[in-house]
Amino acid sequence: MSRAKFEYYAPGTVEEASRLLLDAGKGAFLLAGGTDLLVKINHEMIHPKAVVSLNAIKELDFIKFERNKGLTIGAGARLADVEIHPDIRRRYPAVAYAASVTANTQIRNMGTVSGNLCNAAPSAENAPTLIAMNAEVALYGKDGERRLPLEEFFKGPGLTALEPGEILTSVFVPLPPAGSGVSYQHISARGKVDISAVCVGAMVSLDKSGCEDVRIALGAVAPVPMRALKAERVLKGKKPAEDLVEKAAEQAMKEARPISDMRASAAYRKTMVRVLTRRALTEALKPARKKIG
Amino acid sequence: MKSYSIIGENIPRNDGQAKATGSAVYADDIKLQGMLHGALLRSPLPHARIARIDVRKAAALTGVKCVITGEDTPKIRYGNWRLFPATQDEYPLAVDKVRFIGDEVAAVAAVDKDIAREALELIEVEYEELPAVFDVKASIRKGAPVLHEETPSNISVDRKIQYGDINKGFAEADYVREDTFTVHAQSHAYLEPCSCVAQADLDGRITIWTSTQTPYIVQCLLASTLGLRENDIRVIVPYVGGGFGGKMELRPWEFCSAFMARMTGRPVKFTLTREEELATGRRRHPMILKSKVGFKKDGTLTAKDLKITLDGGAYNAMGPTATFLCGNFGAMLYRYPNYRFMGQHVYTNKPPASAMRGFGAPQSLFAAESQMNMAAEELGVDPIELRIKNAQVTGDTIPDVAVISSCGFIESLKEAAKMSSWKRKRKNMKPGRGVGVGCYSFISGGVFNWFNTQYPFSAAEVRAFDDGTVHLLTMATDIGQGSNTAMKQILAAELGLRMEDIRVTSADTAMTPQADLGSWGSRVTLMNGNAVIDAAGKIKKELFGAVSARKNLNVIYELECKDGVVCPKGRPDRGVPFGEAVAMVQKANRGEPLVARGSYTPRDKGLVTPAFSFGAQVAEVDVDMETGLVKVEKMWTAHDCGTVINHMAVEGQLEGSIHMGLGYALTEQFVMKDGKTLNTTFLDYKMPNAMDMPPGESVCIETYEEEGPLGAKEAGEGLVSPTAPAIADAVFHATGYRCVDLPITPEKILGHLKK
Repeated sequence: MSRAKFEYYAPGTVEEASRLLLDAGKGAFLLAGGTDLLVKINHEMIHPKAVVSLNAIKELDFIKFERNKGLTIGAGARLADVEIHPDIRRRYPAVAYAASVTANTQIRNMGTVSGNLCNAAPSAENAPTLIAMNAEVALYGKDGERRLPLEEFFKGPGLTALEPGEILTSVFVPLPPAGSGVSYQHISARGKVDISAVCVGAMVSLDKSGCEDVRIALGAVAPVPMRALKAERVLKGKKPAEDLVEKAAEQAMKEARPISDMRASAAYRKTMVRVLTRRALTEALKPARKKIG
Repeated sequence: MKSYSIIGENIPRNDGQAKATGSAVYADDIKLQGMLHGALLRSPLPHARIARIDVRKAAALTGVKCVITGEDTPKIRYGNWRLFPATQDEYPLAVDKVRFIGDEVAAVAAVDKDIAREALELIEVEYEELPAVFDVKASIRKGAPVLHEETPSNISVDRKIQYGDINKGFAEADYVREDTFTVHAQSHAYLEPCSCVAQADLDGRITIWTSTQTPYIVQCLLASTLGLRENDIRVIVPYVGGGFGGKMELRPWEFCSAFMARMTGRPVKFTLTREEELATGRRRHPMILKSKVGFKKDGTLTAKDLKITLDGGAYNAMGPTATFLCGNFGAMLYRYPNYRFMGQHVYTNKPPASAMRGFGAPQSLFAAESQMNMAAEELGVDPIELRIKNAQVTGDTIPDVAVISSCGFIESLKEAAKMSSWKRKRKNMKPGRGVGVGCYSFISGGVFNWFNTQYPFSAAEVRAFDDGTVHLLTMATDIGQGSNTAMKQILAAELGLRMEDIRVTSADTAMTPQADLGSWGSRVTLMNGNAVIDAAGKIKKELFGAVSARKNLNVIYELECKDGVVCPKGRPDRGVPFGEAVAMVQKANRGEPLVARGSYTPRDKGLVTPAFSFGAQVAEVDVDMETGLVKVEKMWTAHDCGTVINHMAVEGQLEGSIHMGLGYALTEQFVMKDGKTLNTTFLDYKMPNAMDMPPGESVCIETYEEEGPLGAKEAGEGLVSPTAPAIADAVFHATGYRCVDLPITPEKILGHLKK
């Protein structure tokens, strides 16, 4: 398939990985599951000079849930691990669900949530839910670690906020608020195993007076996974009646900036943003209402 | 009706274990000493004159052993329609002109794949771009760019079928409707991309291992394009990972590997990438179908007038056959007393369309079956009732073309309706939910000898041994459909042996008997099955004579081979074990082994096929009225394939057909821009996968086909046709959207719902 010839490194620590990445300069790529990287190499979309594997770094391979803090997913955690992790399934079901509908079994056994984010496809399956849930990413570089809200991480198709030598080491998802619900909705032409033509993640937090907070993230309808801020404002501070949910969905549709490509037309994508936003909000409201009583 | 214990059983396939464990050897697995790796340079332009090619830099690259262009070759045109040399419009490598993006221009053989591909980039080609044409309407317009100088109209095949008097037929009609349907291209998407390895011996004779459905056709056309004799070419077919019609011609890489093996003295392998397959490979013919039908008030058909324009792409490939067959299928299923078909095969600057499972039937029957459903709707009758009223039955004739010697169509319709609770579901469904029906008829192999073979259509040799085993040799090619298993079953039934008593050697043109036209057109079970029975009959004649003499049997006894014994019918106690009987014959012939050859060529069977299969299918769908996404909930199928030889294999064909029909109906299509195929991976060429498969139920309608081996007919291709019209009808039932232009996309459904 490929005539790629490159240096391969498998360092044991993040520090070493970062240094190798920096030293190799442009043309160096990180390998976690390889499910995006190897496809790009084989299709000659990239010609790496060096590949730095994260797979020998034990400290990255973890999923940690802390009751008072939240969830941290290490860069080495496979999608399949996230999909079945008991704490994630109980407390972050939408995160587990998004992981479970990413690609197919074989890819989930290799691919990672962090890799899915770093690949920075506008359609990244795991981005909308995590953005809706206020996730942060930890980035390790030559000046140490910095943290960034996930929604600021994406800079364009395939582009991220990562500086040269920087490595995304973990994703942190705070505890969802008490009266909240989260939902991930996605569609594609082929039913079960496919890349999403449109995807939406939404978190709604209720208190006695109404929507205390609403976060809506749209995937595959802009150069990066995007927040639908105006749509959120339609609901914020108000009772989430059905017509208001519809209004928010319509607003999200207006905010989306999709393109036409071979997966779907821009017009169809826009319509789907409305449908999926409404569905995501409606689904998220169900557990939220249950919790608030 | 005869009964055999081994016929109709669930017999596991010969090749199942090897494939499941990965030990099966496919063409790309073959590694020979000193083998070179080939790569093809393809045209980046849809239509251009080749002004100049310079291969010097490529040839100078370290590791490159051979670079060829059309100029280095004998420049002999080829094509499967040898009977009409004018239709043979392809060169193995482009000569003077390229006609589609992907047309093969040059080939490289190097010590490894990477160097071969690197060398391609060093070949300099200067093109003079010509105006190109991408759709059939533009192609047949006056002044359109001409693809082949010999065909200034761009219409390469014109076909007419006519019987009765359509004017009279339409005059008698109370209700006439005319509709236009368009159908799109679809990829064969066989999991094994095309691959071959060729080796030249010291005399320059070629042995080629190639992933093909048609070893004999490859042998003949490779010989003619290389300027060699047929016997100088040996084609061996290793395990094949599917063909579906896409591997039934001589292809440029087969020519190039053989040509370069002769030039370099080293074996040369070519294996296509998936991107090459999807971007440049053969595909199902897109068609525009204008169909006019007339009915009496009571629903009786009076006439049909069908005009089909096939988008052939840049070369004929198997287009002439598709043009003939879509017209034949237009006349099937129902009794059209007056019928006219006019078909035109048109060149465009796109990858050539060719044979693909169903061979003109999925297109023709999508139109016919959809139109039947539309007529039923307007006439206010149940679509299944309307079909039963007009259905073909055993003994019906299609004038000048065929006699239907067995037909279980009405039984199939009734069974499909019963299984699916059709009446209840058709009446009571909530919005977004619907059921629909589609039907098919198909051929069991073709009669028309377009390849102009000088041999029987199918042949078999049986060698019997005194240890109680036999060896079956046949050129019939197992491409995954299971023909080796089916042929063994037929021979086992004929000779009263077990599966493990039979060795099979198939698809080696130097070793297996001449000849066989290949695995296509659902011809193998019927034609090669008959050849096997013919050979087995000759073996039995010898055995019966020897046993009769040894046991001093009364001449009135009929003998049989059963359960490993050759004996008077029903009297195994007076028999001789099979091996002993073989030994007797061999002794009587002073050591000469017991060998017999059998063959089959359809004669006095009209122009189309010796036998037709029939069937009906019901689909139930759930349509998301907001997203337009269609989920197929279930498929019910009742079909008549005559005697079932291997139940498991028939089920496998049915499931594979539904899978292919599902993709054709809903998700698969080539996204093309100015002749360029944009979706060249399975990520974006949306073939359904296992998780998308709906559950199903099926029933085989028992008929006995006199012309078929043990009463069998085809079961491999016909079933791919009813799925798209059934799903389209179910979507109409669910949403009111009637699809006349495949595929059925969410956007089309939403567009209708908005109105």
